[in-house]
Amino acid sequence: MNSDSKKTQYNLIPDSSRGMAVNCSNDIAMTLPESGRKMTLMEKLGILSDAAKYDVSCSSSGVGRKGDGTGIGNTSAAGICHSFSSDGRCISLLKILFTNECIYDCKYCINRKSNDVPRASFTPDEVCELTIQFYRRNYIEGLFLSSGIINSPTYTMELIYEAVYKLRTKYRFQRYIHVKAIPGADPMIIQQLGMLADRMSVNLELPTAEGLQKLAPNKHRKNILTPMRQIQTGITQNKEEIVVYKHASSFVPAGQSTQMIVGATPESDYQIMMVAENLYKKFDLKRVYYSAFVSVNEDKELPALPGGPPLLREHRLYQADWLLRFYGFEADELLSEQKPNFNILLDPKADWALRHLEMFPVEINRADYQTILRVPGIGVKSAQRIVRARRNGNLSFDDLKKIGVTLKRALYFITCSGRMMYPTKIEEDYITRNLISNKEKLPFDRDGMTYRQLSLFDDGMISSWNQAVSG
Amino acid sequence: MEEYYLICEDSLEGVFTGIYNAYLMKKPHSRLHISIGEEENLRLFAVYEDCPADEKKAASVAGTIIREFGTEAYLAICRALASGETDKGEAVYKTVVTGFHMKNRKALMGNLANPYVHRVFELARFTANEAHFHVEFLRFRELENGILYAKIGPKNNIITFIMLHFADRLPLENFVIHDEIRGIFAVHPKGKDWFLTSQEEGMEIHSDSFSKGEEEYSELFCRFFHTIAIKERNNYVLQRGMLPLRYRKYMTEFLK
Repeated sequence: MNSDSKKTQYNLIPDSSRGMAVNCSNDIAMTLPESGRKMTLMEKLGILSDAAKYDVSCSSSGVGRKGDGTGIGNTSAAGICHSFSSDGRCISLLKILFTNECIYDCKYCINRKSNDVPRASFTPDEVCELTIQFYRRNYIEGLFLSSGIINSPTYTMELIYEAVYKLRTKYRFQRYIHVKAIPGADPMIIQQLGMLADRMSVNLELPTAEGLQKLAPNKHRKNILTPMRQIQTGITQNKEEIVVYKHASSFVPAGQSTQMIVGATPESDYQIMMVAENLYKKFDLKRVYYSAFVSVNEDKELPALPGGPPLLREHRLYQADWLLRFYGFEADELLSEQKPNFNILLDPKADWALRHLEMFPVEINRADYQTILRVPGIGVKSAQRIVRARRNGNLSFDDLKKIGVTLKRALYFITCSGRMMYPTKIEEDYITRNLISNKEKLPFDRDGMTYRQLSLFDDGMISSWNQAVSG
Repeated sequence: MEEYYLICEDSLEGVFTGIYNAYLMKKPHSRLHISIGEEENLRLFAVYEDCPADEKKAASVAGTIIREFGTEAYLAICRALASGETDKGEAVYKTVVTGFHMKNRKALMGNLANPYVHRVFELARFTANEAHFHVEFLRFRELENGILYAKIGPKNNIITFIMLHFADRLPLENFVIHDEIRGIFAVHPKGKDWFLTSQEEGMEIHSDSFSKGEEEYSELFCRFFHTIAIKERNNYVLQRGMLPLRYRKYMTEFLK
């Protein structure tokens, strides 16, 4: 992408709308109501990063572009996390809202119209300056720019465009930019912004249309899917263009992602996984993010979550998401109408394996890659290493351990040269008992959250939902 | 039976020269060993031989490794030799020997069932991981004269690996990366090639010589770092798993 091509794209925008974006960006209230003094950059950053923290998608991966545009791929395409905040989530991008003013009133959102929170807006130059200065100190990998909706979706997108355009041209920032496409905005501005951004995302917000109607009355499923489809078509077309014209500038080269809130509405895991699978298959999404519902507003439509955000559920969904994307599983294999939720005691892969014991044990030295990939305790990397290493001779359990296989889980499902590691029964109850007894390593709450508490809490949530539905 | 130990310098050239000399000795490889630096416990019935680094011999070995085993293996060996562990010379030497006995020499690094290859793989992985951590967690601070300065304290000698990354990333900046433990400076002048230099007397950085903008932006980043966390999800164990404590003493957001 060179700056010239961007300039011409910018000129494609009707003059009237461009003028509006430039003039009005200064009119947004940037004063503190009580004192009337101008807000400092520090205060703005505080407010607008605090407001942006619930947006997931901090990845900076998927595009291996070098400063001069030749790019040698893998290493930079893997993404870089620059820090980890106290909640253990990675800080990769400068994640901010352009403004936290909003004309919408979504029940779950901290920035909804009816909330009395301090409001602030950046100017495009402030966004650029922050990004550049943070970037050269190696604090961040790029910019993640979202926004509350001010005046109208199109108007807001123009403000974002203005900032991103400035960053790309005046400040010559060639690194990762992720912007939110706001549902309901003019397709033209989405197209324009797509030429500047690396990744775009439209938040699905809630897995089903009913949930959306209930909690986000201003948003509609159709409005959300339209820009998603537009971006998908844009990416496909652009790929064809690049084949023909090598130097055509790329449209959203890192693909698009989306985000769903989990636990604010009563959908089952099965419904959520089916939605995710459809998004991957029909909309070619790069990532679907699941965000455990954090109760920030008091509202009768929202569930009370006495146990905190449903982190275990979120964790299971991510595990399953990985199975869909890297392990060749289908959502139907993991869950069904009859079994709509994930097992809280076992990860989805082990759970699947236990229900398909007829396929095991697998012979490590013979089985194909896809089969090995389905063994609990063997990940993508281990499976690849096994396939490479066994060319030089049969592998033993010792070798597997060195390669990185988690034997305490895998040993019930594999043989090496026809032998199992220990004499074990291939029997569901027996293996389940053993798998559960060596405790699963969960990424949260080392001591507090025991399984018992979790199941109680899950029941609690369902009953609170039943109450809400009946009452 | 006598064992032979070649004592090599702790560098790529040193170990490669050692491998060259080992092949010259025409003795069974099982009785030849490469050790880095002086051996602490000398063995009975062992012959120790100093092996000064020789650029020509090293270049010849490097060429052979690339030609016979491919660039993947060469890169893994370079990474393994940047490690801070002392058994790296022996592991690399025996890996090369193993490679010459394999039918498909290009698949050398896939042969993880071999203990030496596995050790090289482990060392290389550690170096690569640590280099990646530094790409992530290294923090530049702007000095009064506009130069960006970063201090690191890695376990492995990773400075050359991360310089490739940063030189590509910040071509138009003057910046310096300082390896505190080894006393090495990597210097990148604006728009030119970078180079390594070792610490000399009087090269001290004082904390009051940072620029004004530095104070402002480091505070802004600290603010951002704290507000971006979701309090309801606080999870210090996970944070520590992802961002080990030993990196934090060099990181802007943990200093304040």
